[in-house]
Amino acid sequence: MNNLDLLQLSGNSLWRRKVRTILTTLGVIIGTTSIVVMLSLGIGLNEMQRENMERWGSLTMIRVQQGMIFDAEGNPLKEGKQLNDEAVDELRSIDGVLAVSPVYNFGGEASYGRKRGGLNLIGLDASSMNQLEFTAEQGRLLEEGDRNVMVIGREVINNFRDEAFIRQMRKGMGMEGMMSQEEQDPGELLNQRISMTINARENKRIFGFTVVGILEGERTEHSYQAYIPIDDLKRMRDFGSNGNSRSSNMVIMEGVAHSRVSTASSKRSATQQNSDDYDYILVRTNNVEQSQKASQVIKDLGYNTWSMADQLEGIEKTSRTIQAILGGIGSITLLVAALGITNTMIMSIYERTREIGIMKVIGASFHDIYKMFLTEAGLIGFLGGIFGLCFSYIVSYIINRLSAGFMNQGMVGGEASSISVIPVWLTLFAVLFSILVGLLAGIYPAYRAVRLSPINAIRNE
Amino acid sequence: MSAMIRIEGLTKKYRLGQEIITALDNVSLEIAVGEFLCILGTSGSGKTTMLHIMAGLERPTRGSVFIKDINLSKMKEKNMPIFRRKYMGFIFQSYHLIPSLTAIENVSLPLIFGGAATKERSKRARDMLVQVGLQDRLKNRPTEMSGGQQQRVSIARALINDPKIVFADEPTGNLDTKTSSEIMGILTKKVKASGTTLIMVTHDLEIASYADRVIRMVDGHIIEDKRRSVISEER
Ligand SMILES: Nc1ncnc2c1ncn2[C@@H]1O[C@H](COP(=O)(O)OP(=O)(O)OP(=O)(O)O)[C@@H](O)[C@H]1O
Ligand SMILES: [Mg+2]
Repeated sequence: MNNLDLLQLSGNSLWRRKVRTILTTLGVIIGTTSIVVMLSLGIGLNEMQRENMERWGSLTMIRVQQGMIFDAEGNPLKEGKQLNDEAVDELRSIDGVLAVSPVYNFGGEASYGRKRGGLNLIGLDASSMNQLEFTAEQGRLLEEGDRNVMVIGREVINNFRDEAFIRQMRKGMGMEGMMSQEEQDPGELLNQRISMTINARENKRIFGFTVVGILEGERTEHSYQAYIPIDDLKRMRDFGSNGNSRSSNMVIMEGVAHSRVSTASSKRSATQQNSDDYDYILVRTNNVEQSQKASQVIKDLGYNTWSMADQLEGIEKTSRTIQAILGGIGSITLLVAALGITNTMIMSIYERTREIGIMKVIGASFHDIYKMFLTEAGLIGFLGGIFGLCFSYIVSYIINRLSAGFMNQGMVGGEASSISVIPVWLTLFAVLFSILVGLLAGIYPAYRAVRLSPINAIRNE
Repeated sequence: MSAMIRIEGLTKKYRLGQEIITALDNVSLEIAVGEFLCILGTSGSGKTTMLHIMAGLERPTRGSVFIKDINLSKMKEKNMPIFRRKYMGFIFQSYHLIPSLTAIENVSLPLIFGGAATKERSKRARDMLVQVGLQDRLKNRPTEMSGGQQQRVSIARALINDPKIVFADEPTGNLDTKTSSEIMGILTKKVKASGTTLIMVTHDLEIASYADRVIRMVDGHIIEDKRRSVISEER
């Protein structure tokens, strides 16, 4: 029996009992729709979480930190490994790591023209900045050999206030004045000079930087920071701490001998009890999976790490559970539909006993009969799957429209992401799964049809 | 002449509650290739039962059936339909066509199960229907045809695979005399032309007069076995 004939015969017998076929298919449509919509909600939820997390940090970055390592229950295990140049080299040699940059962090008061404000400086390896997921909106990123230059986030400009304004604030003008200040154009700072004044005990020194680039992205973790080459930051740090603890000629010497800073710092780290250890080390990988892998490797090496990818893993575990529950609820509907198919097929076989008997007498093999009934059940599943999928798209569209309206009322400016997402794999899965359900539901009836005795069919005339 | 069908010591018993019915009682028979055998007998004498057992539709309680040299009792249930499709055709009193299929589809059915290509089998089915005089009813469904026409479709279906044996169980039982002789004319002509063995159950003596050989059954026994020449003499 060739496949075309098989389809034709099966389609023909379904068509003959239109109402029943449609009702049975309707069950499958509802089942498929409920599974697809439920899963699409789970997927949408997952994607929303992921988007949210990506705003607050790249999923391909790992931050290797100082401090205690905790076990799963939150009990301190041990102190993380020291973050020195050896650590940088060690991290660099890990599989899947694209770039590594040591980081110093330094906060202080900065001024720009007549304006002043607090500024958080991050010193990193200038040559690898372009590999650390920074993108310049204006100007450029830090590059190898840069000195006394700065790349800043978009919001940094809002830190700076007129001195007059600050004085007013101190007098008690309060928050209103501050709030009323207009948003400033971040580009205003490009090619401008920002200086930071560092006070050591007896010395005071001004470190000046030229802004060479503005970073892309609003309200991200980058947008409030200022990035400078790590050597520059180290100088400022050393000046600050030495001024406080040591003789000032050391500072002056260092001011002259810029080029020897790195050698000097590595020498000192041995003697000066970790004070030269990096604040943290940034590690960049290719993708989330590698990030999760690398993060584990780094932990195993005895470092204290933090990464969005790790957080994501936890959240994804939760949302997988949610998806499983949602999918399970949908599956129950499809299970009921499957019982419907089985029931319909058994009834149909009962009615067609004679027909089946005749077919057997005139030469339909067991295999033919089996295939015919399986095909019928599979066809119901297939039709239900296709129409169910169409229906799912409609339902998903409605849900997204409703939820978009709802969410826009709640928050301003946030582009509403869909809470029901139907990816391509789900489309394929839905159709294949409903065919499979149809086939499974058809096995027992098909078996019964095969067992049917042809004599009873033709004897009872 | 070699035997097409040989049955030996065939016994068939049915259990109906406590009662055991012996439908066939130790029957032996040999049917030659190309022979037209007619089975006469009272109702309940075991004619249909014997036909079914010869066709492998039922298993005997005892005894065996040989088609040529093939022992049907040794054949697996699974292979039976394929064997039937290749070597046998069936005609029934109530036609047994598939109601949802057209004449041409009904006739094609054995070829469909045989896996024939669509084009080829449509042509063959059409030719066969033309040969039984139904060129105007190709697309009709059984309910849209008279009894005689339906029986012609069923003859076409029985012959489409060029079977070696055709089994017919009271093929004219539901038809009037005129239509009956038309049907018999078509059937015997086709069967004789191709040398097919025909085994037919009937109550109608008129129909039996077409046969080469007539056997008569009573209570599961063959009580009479006559060749055509003898029948003619009696008349
Ligand atoms: N499945 C069955 N179960 C029980 N008894 C049966 C069964 N099939 C047939 N019989 C019995 O076997 C006997 C022979 O039946 P069979 O159908 O062969 O008769 P027949 O000669 O064809 O009669 P008719 O001329 O009425 O068709 C009958 O007594 C019948 O009741
Ligand atoms: Mg009978």
